[in-house]
Amino acid sequence: MPERQDNPALLWATAAFTGGLALHVDRLPAWVSAAAIVLIAWRLAAARARAPLPGMIARVVLAGVLVIAVLARFRTLNGLAAGTALLVLMASLKLLETYRRRDRLVLIGAGLFLLLAACLDRQSLPRAPLYAGETWLACAALAVVASDRLPGRAALALAGRTLLLALPLAVLLFLFFPRLAGSFWAVPRGEEAETGLSETMSPGSIGKLSTSYDVAFRARFEDALPPNDERYWRGPVLHEFDGFTWRRGTGGGRAPETLLSTGRAYRYHVALEPSHLRWWFALDTPAQSPDPNVTLTRDHELYAARPVSDPTSFEALSFTGAREDQPLSRWERFEDTYLPRAGNPRSLALARELRARAGSDGAFVAAALEFLRTGGFVYSLEPEVLGAEQVDDFLFRTRTGFCGHYASAFVVLMRAAGVPARVVTGYLGGEWNPSGGYLVVRQSDAHAWVELWLEGRGWTRVDPTAVVAPERLERGAYDLLPDAMSASTRLLRGAPWLVHLLQRWDAAYAWWNERVVKFDSVAQMGLLERLGVRSPDAWALGWAFVLALLAWLALVAWHMGGAARPPRSDPLARAYARLCRKLARTGPERAPHQGPLAYGEALRAAGNPAYAAGASTLLERYAHLRYGAPEPATRARDIETFSRAVARFSLPR
Amino acid sequence: MRVPFRAAARKRMAVWVRRRQGVDTLPVMLARRRLYILPTRAGLTFGSLWILMLLAALNYGNSLALFFTFLLAGFALVAMNDCHRNLLGITLASVSAPAVFARSAGALALTLENPAARARPGVEAALDEAPLTGVDLAPHGRGRLELPLLPARRGIVRIDRVRLTSSHPFGLFRTWTWVHLPIEVLVYPHPHGSLPRPITSGRHPGESSRDGSGLDEWMGLKLFRDGDSPRQVDWKAYAREAPLMVKEYSPAGADLCLFDFAQLRIPGVEERLSQLARWVVDAEAGGERYGLALPGVELAPNRGPEHRHHCLAALALYGIEAPAASAAQPAAAAPLHA
Repeated sequence: MPERQDNPALLWATAAFTGGLALHVDRLPAWVSAAAIVLIAWRLAAARARAPLPGMIARVVLAGVLVIAVLARFRTLNGLAAGTALLVLMASLKLLETYRRRDRLVLIGAGLFLLLAACLDRQSLPRAPLYAGETWLACAALAVVASDRLPGRAALALAGRTLLLALPLAVLLFLFFPRLAGSFWAVPRGEEAETGLSETMSPGSIGKLSTSYDVAFRARFEDALPPNDERYWRGPVLHEFDGFTWRRGTGGGRAPETLLSTGRAYRYHVALEPSHLRWWFALDTPAQSPDPNVTLTRDHELYAARPVSDPTSFEALSFTGAREDQPLSRWERFEDTYLPRAGNPRSLALARELRARAGSDGAFVAAALEFLRTGGFVYSLEPEVLGAEQVDDFLFRTRTGFCGHYASAFVVLMRAAGVPARVVTGYLGGEWNPSGGYLVVRQSDAHAWVELWLEGRGWTRVDPTAVVAPERLERGAYDLLPDAMSASTRLLRGAPWLVHLLQRWDAAYAWWNERVVKFDSVAQMGLLERLGVRSPDAWALGWAFVLALLAWLALVAWHMGGAARPPRSDPLARAYARLCRKLARTGPERAPHQGPLAYGEALRAAGNPAYAAGASTLLERYAHLRYGAPEPATRARDIETFSRAVARFSLPR
Repeated sequence: MRVPFRAAARKRMAVWVRRRQGVDTLPVMLARRRLYILPTRAGLTFGSLWILMLLAALNYGNSLALFFTFLLAGFALVAMNDCHRNLLGITLASVSAPAVFARSAGALALTLENPAARARPGVEAALDEAPLTGVDLAPHGRGRLELPLLPARRGIVRIDRVRLTSSHPFGLFRTWTWVHLPIEVLVYPHPHGSLPRPITSGRHPGESSRDGSGLDEWMGLKLFRDGDSPRQVDWKAYAREAPLMVKEYSPAGADLCLFDFAQLRIPGVEERLSQLARWVVDAEAGGERYGLALPGVELAPNRGPEHRHHCLAALALYGIEAPAASAAQPAAAAPLHA
């Protein structure tokens, strides 16, 4: 049977589902969202009798086509992204056969499942209100589906009130519900690289370096901050060059050896934003791997077993002046001095000439840097695209580029003269956030520099960009080249108060990631410890959980108790009952049908001495207070006086 | 297989509840002790969905998913509390069970009172497993619920219990209670038959009344009731300190009929009763005076709703043991007190 027109229950259930869909619309393939929206529109049009609904066969065929389409796109139905797409499409199809109350509940359930999927996908602070909104919408839809007559505003108020009462329980359970340390099963999650560093670098082919203002990670130092020119955060280290692109190379070789520390040690905490890459970024030279699932490579990169798809944080120890004491192996020396045989003849000639003039490798490096400083080079985020002989083109023609160009060209010069050299990519810098007390490193701080192997000194960092644009050490690429900023970023950086506000926001964001998103079983134990539990374990957590639950139940019962409790007997009735009890001790009991005056008559008839002793007056006063028209203003006081008179009243002996 | 089991379980449950609660007397306050609550089918679905959400959230150690799962748990618990509270304290003030004809729709009317300062939306009631009828009670308000009755046979329908229930606010839980009241509904025979009404005595229609006043034969005296014309009051008797009496006359042109069970030439007791009921209804509607003769029961010719009820009640109870209360007084809108 078709739905009546504009059935509010159908509209609300559809809204709850659409709300769930909206949480995913920027992640789903466009055709999935489009298909879902078309199906929703179809159903709503049918509800207004503007379009017929498809029959059974059409629905089955449509379902089959959509499942195959999802399979074709994701190659699987398993996994968060594919599962979400499938859920969206199947629930939209379900909408076409939504007639009864049960079907509408299914739609609301789909909305809640989409909410769950959205939580699994992203947990950042700005998304939390969206999720709360969807929860609210789904609960209001439940109320409307339960009772069609309920107006929408009343449904929202009802659901809002219920959720507010539920909020304390949610917080308590969040804190004390025992968490799992591991997981039962793992579903692969959609991993798509976003912005940031890639594992290759092709500076010559990039016409405009697209750097975003997004946060890459935040670092909180235990003691002093490293100075500006020491804030090199190591990412992928690149060895292989084919004339156009730098790659990591085959890797292999040995595990890192003991470090000879010559510089300062820094202990710090890094909170990585999801990058969907496997790199963890640490300051310069990390001493050891911070996590069993992360490998410390021979190049001192931190390489994780799984991509960073959730906010991740770790504690690290780094040395800014540490050097290895092992000599370079023959293979390493070969790899890091290799250049493609053909190409860039002028650069190679220049390198050989400079090396011949210089007496040592150290002098040669200084000479090469001097060449960059005095050669009229310009730092730019929008350089010309380079020709086939990339390094020659850059060094002798365009002389304009960003860190990638300088690092690439410098390594080529070094290798041409037989000095082992490699490109290190990562980030340089970090903005101090006074609100949060940490350094913020953004995608726009991405940088590339060079490491050289110098006899007796080991791998030594040289930053050719710093020679061309020394300010880059002090400030981010954006501040250096304001034109490269997008209009919105420029606006955001423009006003000091806005910068301050943004820092506040960033601090809240970081707090959320650290304290809320990453709240786990370890953090739970820490919380218990702070609450005074000596050596917290699962049992203590269980007790805390039970206590929290009871506390909430008491709260709700107290809040709701008022209306549910039967009215307490009023003071007048209590006083009257007391008087009757007193009189019944010597005289006849008041019969249920007797009013106060009739009872007085009965006492008189029985010759009860109490009658004369004041009982008659009290009974009359009661009758007046109860049935007469007493002054409203003085009634409370009169009742009080009457109660006291009853209390004083004693039977004559 | 499944249905008999459910029916048996339901019956045992009913017996247990009846023993636990005892018979109620009006007014019935719905106290905590007698309210039962269970999740509905929607509530169970919500629960299983919630468990899935919890498992997924725990599995991934996903804080936000856990938080919203816990929020929904709190939501369901508050909803349960609200559902229970929606019936708690409501008072069933009165039940009226007017007599009804067999095979026609009647209703059992319940009056509910809400003593609390908050509204009670979606309060529903039903006779056993019949469909629910609902009403919204305003703060400190009253509401009337009419539960449909469709008795098949004449006689007395005994209603053991009435179910009061609510699934407000979210339909995830249903709270209910049973009220056990000894309700008896008198069911008149289905008025049916095509025989013409017999005319036993009385004048022929068209004959004018003696004084032209529209009032005719003196019938006797009856006690004054509100609405009686002062012109008919027996003032002379009142002057002699007798109670206020009213002189009764039969209306001009009214026929006098006696409907006799024994003289009906219809096979079958029920058919005869139906025919008699038809005549009674028609005669009353026509403003006639009529009497009824059943084996063992004789009702002198008279008219008025009371007389009609007595006649129909006699027909309803013919061959059935007479109940204590229902037939003795007109049941129309008379509240039943246990």
